[in-house]
Amino acid sequence: MRLPTPVSSQVLEDGDRFLIELERFQGPLDLLLHLIRCQDIDIFDIPIAEITAQFVAAIEHVEQHLTLERAGSFLEMAATLVRIKAQMLLPRRGDLLDDEDPRSELVRRLLEYEVFREVAYSLADAEAERALHRGKGYIEPRPPRRMPELPLELTINELLEVAMSLPAPPEKRPHRAPVRPVTVDEKIELWFKALKRKTRVQFGKFIGRWKTRIHAVMSFLACLELAKRGRVVLRQDRHFGTLWIYPSEDDENS
Amino acid sequence: MKTTRIVEAVLFASETPLTPAEIARASGDLSAKEVEEAIGQLCREYEVEERAFQVYPLGDGYQILSRPEFAPYLERFDSITRTNKLSRAALETLAIIAYRQPVSRLEVEEVRGVSAAGVLRNLQERGLIEVVDRAEGLGRPMLYGTTTKFLDHFGLRTIDDLPGPENLEIALRSGE
Repeated sequence: MRLPTPVSSQVLEDGDRFLIELERFQGPLDLLLHLIRCQDIDIFDIPIAEITAQFVAAIEHVEQHLTLERAGSFLEMAATLVRIKAQMLLPRRGDLLDDEDPRSELVRRLLEYEVFREVAYSLADAEAERALHRGKGYIEPRPPRRMPELPLELTINELLEVAMSLPAPPEKRPHRAPVRPVTVDEKIELWFKALKRKTRVQFGKFIGRWKTRIHAVMSFLACLELAKRGRVVLRQDRHFGTLWIYPSEDDENS
Repeated sequence: MKTTRIVEAVLFASETPLTPAEIARASGDLSAKEVEEAIGQLCREYEVEERAFQVYPLGDGYQILSRPEFAPYLERFDSITRTNKLSRAALETLAIIAYRQPVSRLEVEEVRGVSAAGVLRNLQERGLIEVVDRAEGLGRPMLYGTTTKFLDHFGLRTIDDLPGPENLEIALRSGE
């Protein structure tokens, strides 16, 4: 039975490197594989004491560099290694002679992990290869065009020149809207309506709702027309006095 | 109009892979099989004419992509999505899921020897993996599998195209 050998000189020298680059390792299996592979150790016959010492040395200050959760996984592996080492040191009872090698489960895990680590590298290659192919829309849409920056220098003559070159403002013309025609017939209808339930209507009040002269004229012509037909009676007490319009007696009776 | 040209127009206008069935929607009398034939024709045309692009199979669909030799020229432009390279942790986790799916978080953690919760959440957010099932037993843990986007990300046609070392099958068997 071999006693735990001191950490080999090579790894001693590399100890600091492991410490610094522990974050580079994906986990305890990654680190363990690295220790085994870089020293050309037969994975089916791992010198467990030596590897354990190297592993422990590498993670000595693990809690300073990694999160508690990640550090925990490294410490757990250290514990596993120590347990395996102990199992190998213990004298075996006769009936357990053909028992499984205590290292076998660890070896299985290491080999399994190594395979997926290889696949991960292949995936990285595939990812890089795929990234060389660009689809539609890869290039960003063109940004909106910037206004060119113009110098703000200007002489009075230049300003004058520009002002003179401007076209003269268009001549102002009053806007004429077409006027709706006002008819005598229309006013007659309105007179009838106004006189329907009233005994008399004041002319001034009747035309008061329109502000324009044409309505007043047409309204006046309308009541003259009605008076001529004998439908209304007009009364005015004096010149420029109030003009009253009465429905004629005949109309009231009918 | 010629079927090949119709398929070409649809592929040209799309920013994501399209399945033959999806492309066939372009015309009433177009079958998925005819679309596949048209794509084959397009591939040959682009090859002969030495076009800067080609129709590539991605997952269960097809997409027109630039040929790899033009990548250096395209990279000089501002790109919309610089495909973020995945971390080693993400790649290892994806490798395990791809070969072992459907697989639980615990199984992934056992293989890698470290916690997988963060990586799994990340991959799920990126749409590269999804919950495909729930296992029997205590807590009915979620089981993860890879997505079509996973195939797209690595330029794979099917999960069988996955690259792998020679001794992969042995390791996979021992894991069962």
